[in-house]
Amino acid sequence: MKRFSRMLMFVLAATLAFSIAGCAKKPAKSAEVPPAPTPTTETTPTPTPPPEPAPAPEPAKPAVTAADLQIVYFAYDSFSLDDQARAALDNNAKLMRENPSLAVSVDGHCDERGTVEYNQALGQKRAETVQQYLTELGLGGERFRVISYGKERPASEGHDEAAWARNRRVEFTPR
Amino acid sequence: MSHRPSALLTLTILVALVLPAAPARAQGGDVRIDVKSGAIARLPLRCEPLQGPPSGPAPVRAADEVLALDLQSSAVFQANRMWAPDPAATEPQFVTSGKWTVTGDKVRLDGELRDFPARRPILVRAYDGPVADWRRLLHRFSDDIVQQITGERGVADTRIAFVVCGGRDKELWLMDADGHGARALTADKSIAQSPSWSPEGSLLLFTSWRGGTGPQVWVMSPENRKPYLVSGRAGLNTSACYSPDGQRVACTLSMDGNAEVYSLDARGGSLQRLTNHRAIDTSPAWSPTGREIAFTSDRSGTPQLYVMDSDGGSVRRLTYDVDYTDSPSWSPKGDRLAFVTRVGGGFDLWTCRADGTGAAPVVTGGNNENPRWSADGRHLVFASNRDGGYGLWVTDLDGALPRKLSTGGRCAVSPAWSPRRASGR
Repeated sequence: MKRFSRMLMFVLAATLAFSIAGCAKKPAKSAEVPPAPTPTTETTPTPTPPPEPAPAPEPAKPAVTAADLQIVYFAYDSFSLDDQARAALDNNAKLMRENPSLAVSVDGHCDERGTVEYNQALGQKRAETVQQYLTELGLGGERFRVISYGKERPASEGHDEAAWARNRRVEFTPR
Repeated sequence: MSHRPSALLTLTILVALVLPAAPARAQGGDVRIDVKSGAIARLPLRCEPLQGPPSGPAPVRAADEVLALDLQSSAVFQANRMWAPDPAATEPQFVTSGKWTVTGDKVRLDGELRDFPARRPILVRAYDGPVADWRRLLHRFSDDIVQQITGERGVADTRIAFVVCGGRDKELWLMDADGHGARALTADKSIAQSPSWSPEGSLLLFTSWRGGTGPQVWVMSPENRKPYLVSGRAGLNTSACYSPDGQRVACTLSMDGNAEVYSLDARGGSLQRLTNHRAIDTSPAWSPTGREIAFTSDRSGTPQLYVMDSDGGSVRRLTYDVDYTDSPSWSPKGDRLAFVTRVGGGFDLWTCRADGTGAAPVVTGGNNENPRWSADGRHLVFASNRDGGYGLWVTDLDGALPRKLSTGGRCAVSPAWSPRRASGR
């Protein structure tokens, strides 16, 4: 079921990507797949500077979705990004550049240790830190919406260090 | 205008000087025994079976237990239905008795409190209401008994709002203070958290993700259960509580780029920022006088309690020598604060005086969270996993073991104890 819905998402996303590319300058007519799209980004009517050799039309790549973005993890009671977190975000930024239409919710979470109210603020700090890092990499702030869930939505229901480590996170969900 | 500030300032200082001296005594009541002074001992009391009409309604039979539980939970009495009073005992002893009279859909409880062994009447009072509300007649009788003996009304006729957890979603619930009649107030399939009562007990502020854009502050009447948005600004909107006069709401917002404490009017407007620090500032709790707000800040490196004037001025640190500390709650008389602090792997419930001195644990072991005072200041309700799953517990602050409130087996957190209902009706 999950595979099926992922496939469906993929097909829909691919369809959408094609239709956007195909109808960039035209008023949208229909959602049908345009025939043989020439994926040039813009038809720039600038004759003098010879356009660089257009990048070889890549074979239809699956559009990037929020599910492709890596989850970022944090140390206890911390909202700073370690090397691993930055590497994950660098990768996420690359993916988001590949799909400029992708806008996501940046969801900050905490482990269960600590209070409801303080963890909400900590989750907000985590999510804002991630958003700030991504915008410093050149991604538009309008592509993000920051939401703190505090300790209310754990990824793991366990009560040990392994579970806590999985719960101290910022994840990306579609919006 | 140029001369007025100094006059106003003088007046403010005068009021500030005079107010603390004002007696905080409960009004009314023929105080016979002051159980609040001296050693804490519960007064032996026996609940004799209430007499009902021979073919009375079923509830009447359960009533004996309801009244005994109310009086026991008051922490004033050692209540027992079976206990035989010792005539030789020198300490005061009491008996309660009563009679039900059902007329159509109305019921009357004629309640009596007498001393023992002389059996002189101390309190004789009739309570009328719909048959469906028979439990409230007993709660009012119990609260009157507590008032008669201590000078301050009990809290049996109050309610507790809380959050039911256990799944992906969290909904707001409400029940009577004895755990009866638990019912859901929200069915949002979202997260509700941090309920907080209005001073007169008619409204509940709470945090909810129901709007789909993150935590927002909402308010609802438990009677009509229709939520209204109070603050849905960008970022965090959470941890809201009313000022004692109900005119303002203190809450945590992150709209200026960091979690700070703000004061809003009751409809969410006329924003006033109270804290200004790059650390996390949250969990505001208004003092009963309205002049001060306690809050949590990690500006020292770990979350600790602070107090500021209600306009944000003269911030001073309240807790020292404790680990991660949060969830301040001011006692109704303003003399103490309850809070939680991390000890080992869990959170203990502590209290301290309003100036931060005298900090000491009240409940230890497991995770004990979000303490809130009862209206009489005799009890704290809190969430705890001390027996495994999360549920609601009450400490009577007299050294007795915490007792668990029934939530019908539901996972429960974030309790908020209601103020007394107006006029006991």
